[in-house]
Amino acid sequence: MSELVLQSLYAGLLAGGYYALIALGLTLIFGTMKVINLAHGEMVLLAAYIAYTAESVYGINPVLAIPLAVAAVVLTSVMVYGLVSRIRQDRELNSLILTFGIGIVLTNFVLMVWSADIRSTNVPWFNEPVVIGEAFYSTSAQVLFFLAGLGLTAALWWWLGRSWYGRALRAVASNRNAAMLMGVNPRTTEVISFVIAGLLAGIAGVALYTVAVIHPDLGHNLTIKAFVITVLAGLGSIPGVLVGAMLIGVAEYMTITLASSALQELTGMVMFLLVLFIRPSGLFGSRGRVG
Amino acid sequence: MLEVDKLRAGYGAINILWDLSLTIREGQTTVIVGPNGAGKTTLLRAIMGLIKASRGDIRLNGRTTANRATWDIVHDGVIMIPEGRLVFRDMTVEDNLMMGAFPRHCRKGAKQNLAQVYDLFPRLAERRHQAAGSLSGGEAQMVAMGRGLMEEPKVVLIDEPSLGLAPVVVDEIFRIIARLKREGRTIVLVEQNTHRALAVADHVYLMRSGQVALSEPASAVNLDRLHDLYFAAEAAGA
Repeated sequence: MSELVLQSLYAGLLAGGYYALIALGLTLIFGTMKVINLAHGEMVLLAAYIAYTAESVYGINPVLAIPLAVAAVVLTSVMVYGLVSRIRQDRELNSLILTFGIGIVLTNFVLMVWSADIRSTNVPWFNEPVVIGEAFYSTSAQVLFFLAGLGLTAALWWWLGRSWYGRALRAVASNRNAAMLMGVNPRTTEVISFVIAGLLAGIAGVALYTVAVIHPDLGHNLTIKAFVITVLAGLGSIPGVLVGAMLIGVAEYMTITLASSALQELTGMVMFLLVLFIRPSGLFGSRGRVG
Repeated sequence: MLEVDKLRAGYGAINILWDLSLTIREGQTTVIVGPNGAGKTTLLRAIMGLIKASRGDIRLNGRTTANRATWDIVHDGVIMIPEGRLVFRDMTVEDNLMMGAFPRHCRKGAKQNLAQVYDLFPRLAERRHQAAGSLSGGEAQMVAMGRGLMEEPKVVLIDEPSLGLAPVVVDEIFRIIARLKREGRTIVLVEQNTHRALAVADHVYLMRSGQVALSEPASAVNLDRLHDLYFAAEAAGA
């Protein structure tokens, strides 16, 4: 029994790295612009389907299709910003309706192009077992994208904290006029943050395709998962995303092991509610912080 | 160097500046005094392009800044040190200061300038990792000043640096302004504390209800007459 618990702890942590990958883009946009991109999950899904096409039609390994998936999703992300930036008033609220609509359009686009069938990767390497210490079982894809999640979280944290444009982005979030007085064009920094969110969503999509199975109406589930992790983390906290994602991952796998896999999604939601009750600003949140 | 020509500007339907004209000469310290609501801050905001002129023109070295964005004006070397409340509250002191070096031509000297700012304001060095929002009013003003120094400005617009601060801090702030003046930078200082401001001024403007009420070289200013004009304006405005 304790072996099973340890195994689900391990699997949960691995899943956390990959969940963080899905949530990072949403957290970045939310933390810096107070815009919740409800089309985020659909953007991840779009990348997953591009990886599927690369594999099934052209025989390209999904990992090698990352540049293509990223390019497509970055383009989509910039188009989303193009629309969001046209909102004249109450951007925080109106962008919800706008991005929700974009999500529906994207879902139907995916449905039209790729049909409603369930897809998953046929490249055997991704499903090869990786066994650590004779006790912990996982697949290559899980380990690969766990590491990718860790690496990209760290990279994003560094970028926001230390780079010129990362710092400028936080400055724009903190005080738009004062940032302009420092020579910052707020639109440039916001486009950059949407480009980075697109890049992260693109990689997350390929991860999704190789780790799990995909179908066209998965998009909003992904958005909800990313949103729950973002809130759990404390709005805008990047290291919090990793911790929040791992908590969700572990809780889900523990639920599967100890109770039933039917309750998997419920656990995440219950944790979400508990955090909202006990610590409304999230695990790492203080009011309005970014970074 | 900087010319404001019959400028009319304000916020939406409310007009503040009424055909205001003034000239800022290179290397000089120009002090603008005037009662609350005279439009001093509005003038600085208009020069920085944060609000657009509805009529008139602002020229920098003979070139109009009318269609230029705030960040372009900053890249041309004209910067504004806003009052201390406009620091980035949820960023650390050091991040605030480093934001000053954002314009491309300032980045190379950023490390050196940062060390210099910490030299000038040792208190900021102590609090470098603290959120700027947790600082006292005086410390926040120091952050705003330090951030401005990081921008390596040619023209510095300073908005009420002594507002609501303890006399010791005001001394410190004016020491920095005197230093900027010695370095040969062009300074526009908006200040309520006329006595302190006159000590560093080359030229003085008195603003009243969005217009220039008095323009004199600092040496010719009679403080009593200035105060009479200053308070008369307040009485007339009430």
